[in-house]
Amino acid sequence: MSAFLARNRLIVLAYAGMVVLLLVTALFSPGFLSVSNMRSTVVLAAFVGIVALGQTFVIIGGGIDLSVPWVLNSAAIVMALLCGGQDLPLVWVMPLLLAGGAFIGLINGVGVAQFGVPPIIMTLATNVILQGLILVLTGGSPTPSAPALIQYLSVGRIGAFPVIALIWLALTLVATLLLSKAAFGRHLYALGTSATVAEFSGVPTARTTILTYVISGLTAAFAGMLLTGYSGQAYLGMGDAYLFTSIAAVAIGGASILGGSGHYLGTVAGAMVLTILTGLLPALNLSSGALLIVYGAVILLTVSIGSETFAGLGGKMRRKES
Amino acid sequence: MDLVTVNGLSKRYGGIVALSEATFSARAGEVHALLGENGAGKSTFIQILSGAVQHDGGSILVDGQDYRPANPDAAQVRGIAAVFQELSLIPDLSVEQNIWFRHEPRTLLRTVNRAEMRRKTLALLEKYNFPVLRPDQELRRLTLAERQIVEIAKGLAKDPRILILDEATSALPAREAEWLLKLTRQLAAEGRLVIFISHRMAEVRAIADRLTIFRNGSTIAVHEANAVSDNEIVTQMIGRHLDRLYPERIATATDRIALSVKNFSSGSRLSGVDFALREGEVLGVGGLQGHGQRELFQALFGASKASGTIELWGKPVSIANPRQALIGKDGIALVPEDRRGQGLLLTKSVRENLTLSVIRRFTENGLLSRQKEAALVKEMVDFLRIKAGTPEQLAGTLSGGNQQKVIFGKMLLTQARVLLLYDPTRGVDVGTKGEIFQLMRDLAAKGYAILFHSSDMPELVHVADRVLVMRNGGVAATLEGDRISEAGILRAAMLESEAA
Repeated sequence: MSAFLARNRLIVLAYAGMVVLLLVTALFSPGFLSVSNMRSTVVLAAFVGIVALGQTFVIIGGGIDLSVPWVLNSAAIVMALLCGGQDLPLVWVMPLLLAGGAFIGLINGVGVAQFGVPPIIMTLATNVILQGLILVLTGGSPTPSAPALIQYLSVGRIGAFPVIALIWLALTLVATLLLSKAAFGRHLYALGTSATVAEFSGVPTARTTILTYVISGLTAAFAGMLLTGYSGQAYLGMGDAYLFTSIAAVAIGGASILGGSGHYLGTVAGAMVLTILTGLLPALNLSSGALLIVYGAVILLTVSIGSETFAGLGGKMRRKES
Repeated sequence: MDLVTVNGLSKRYGGIVALSEATFSARAGEVHALLGENGAGKSTFIQILSGAVQHDGGSILVDGQDYRPANPDAAQVRGIAAVFQELSLIPDLSVEQNIWFRHEPRTLLRTVNRAEMRRKTLALLEKYNFPVLRPDQELRRLTLAERQIVEIAKGLAKDPRILILDEATSALPAREAEWLLKLTRQLAAEGRLVIFISHRMAEVRAIADRLTIFRNGSTIAVHEANAVSDNEIVTQMIGRHLDRLYPERIATATDRIALSVKNFSSGSRLSGVDFALREGEVLGVGGLQGHGQRELFQALFGASKASGTIELWGKPVSIANPRQALIGKDGIALVPEDRRGQGLLLTKSVRENLTLSVIRRFTENGLLSRQKEAALVKEMVDFLRIKAGTPEQLAGTLSGGNQQKVIFGKMLLTQARVLLLYDPTRGVDVGTKGEIFQLMRDLAAKGYAILFHSSDMPELVHVADRVLVMRNGGVAATLEGDRISEAGILRAAMLESEAA
């Protein structure tokens, strides 16, 4: 474990940042550390965290997924439409939509890995296409309310714990196993560090790339369904905020945006930091415009501290090589 | 008076002493060779001279004046330029844009004066008789050797009084290396000081007036070049007596064909190659650079598209990518040309690099077994005598020779018994070179079949059982026995009349 910490200083830093932020927030808003408030913070962070899970894999592999907002939104709206407020259809609707999310990821991955389309263009295009499809499908009219079962998954509790927090925990475990304990993880880090070296070492680079986008499609679609339960309803634009937050959570969590490093455990801290920040800023009594400015600035600052530390280490290493 | 005088020069990186009380002096108008194994402190020394890093202790005098450049620009103001082995060029710029990068001739409006830049480029290339380079060619289209030549032009463009050449010939084929040696003499004749680092003894002997030997960060000896033997130099470099660089060539080839290649073509550089590599054989691939050697190795490994037939151990195979090449006991493995760009994950550990190609083998029920991995890593580190603090050390922090050993280890773990070695000793210190040759012979004796390209012709002559000489993308001749000599290889490479 200590070796893990030594190699992942930036992740430790992210958790330290989270704790500091918690304490600062508690100073400005004394009720913040209450059990109920922590609970709702974790619930909100879980949505970011689940979307950012797929994003973590994509970014470690050296790509980026800009299609998450409308994969999320599409899953939310189609689920609401197909279920019509009933629980029973979920039996087939959920698997269908997860498969749908995976399929969008497959398209992204094949475009990037087989046809050489730059990830930004590829995923931006699928995002816009999905947005168009959904507008055609709904004609802009509101959807039926979310099935009760989905609402339970996102706001319900088992004992003291929110159900979604437990789901998040389980997903974190799976992601950690994939990254640290599976051959896929090794291949992924190699791919993100140098696609050429990975290729020359016999790593199945295309398959690995495609898989990251598939995972990202899956988690975005899953998050879309859960978020519908949280809001009680699906609506247009509900995924938009998750483009920025999913990438920011990965970056705050210590991953290099260029790929090859990072871990989902860092992203978890990143998701928490972002969510605590949205709790802190209103306590400062700023206007909503000023709030966004501060929010953006703080994220920029956090990420740049991380990358500066990283650049410092990189520089030292380069010099030592000679 | 000496142009450069260095006394008591010291440099530490954390706990690692890179230089300790090193001394050095050199005159204008001489070619001064700097010798030492990798890690002896040569690189640190020239990095200090060129302003890339700053020393902790000691003094440097240039022209009798104290010299302590804060960066390479400051070094250049004092007339010192360096050509490094790690290329510093920008792939998207043209040859001339790279040569004059950040020192472009300007117009009155401070925009780049392209006509003047072209004129100065052509003048420079002509003055020093550069091998054919087109000033407007995009750098990414050039071979490694051509890039190295651009790098040299970039150094000369600064019109330095002191030019440092760090392993500048290691990427160059014979003819271009020859040119560089002439160039070096020409520069010295112009009254410049050339500080020359090379792992090729023959070159050092050919051009150096004097040589300084470094070991473990200190200066061991300074010699007049014509007053010292090769043996003395090598002994002082490695601090012990090295019996011989090349292992004894014991024929271990059997009649079994490991790799048979027929009518093999790839792109425009490789056409209709036929040859057979036998079990236990080291088959050299020589010829002038750019005659299809690179394409042959890459295409055999599946890294580029090819046509023709390949048989491995008697079975026809089709290899569409390196993953397919590496599969199983009948696989084919490559130690690639570009150690840092194709061979190693520099920011990952020795362990992760070693097991990358075979990581699936350490999984049980889909989960990695760290114990199994660690055991095999230790075995390989011991077997190849890889000098790393721990297996967790980052590959990028190893010396060149140890980096190369890690790549060897990665390929040996795959169990492929046909090995393609593309210039495996490039930029590797003399001690490790000897180990690599010995390893090649040991592997051949165990039944491996080895295809071996080297840009250093004596290596082919002394290590290979047979040598294929390539010309214009085909095999021009196959040399065996007594016919394997530098002259024989050159003749086959250059003369049309020499039939296969």
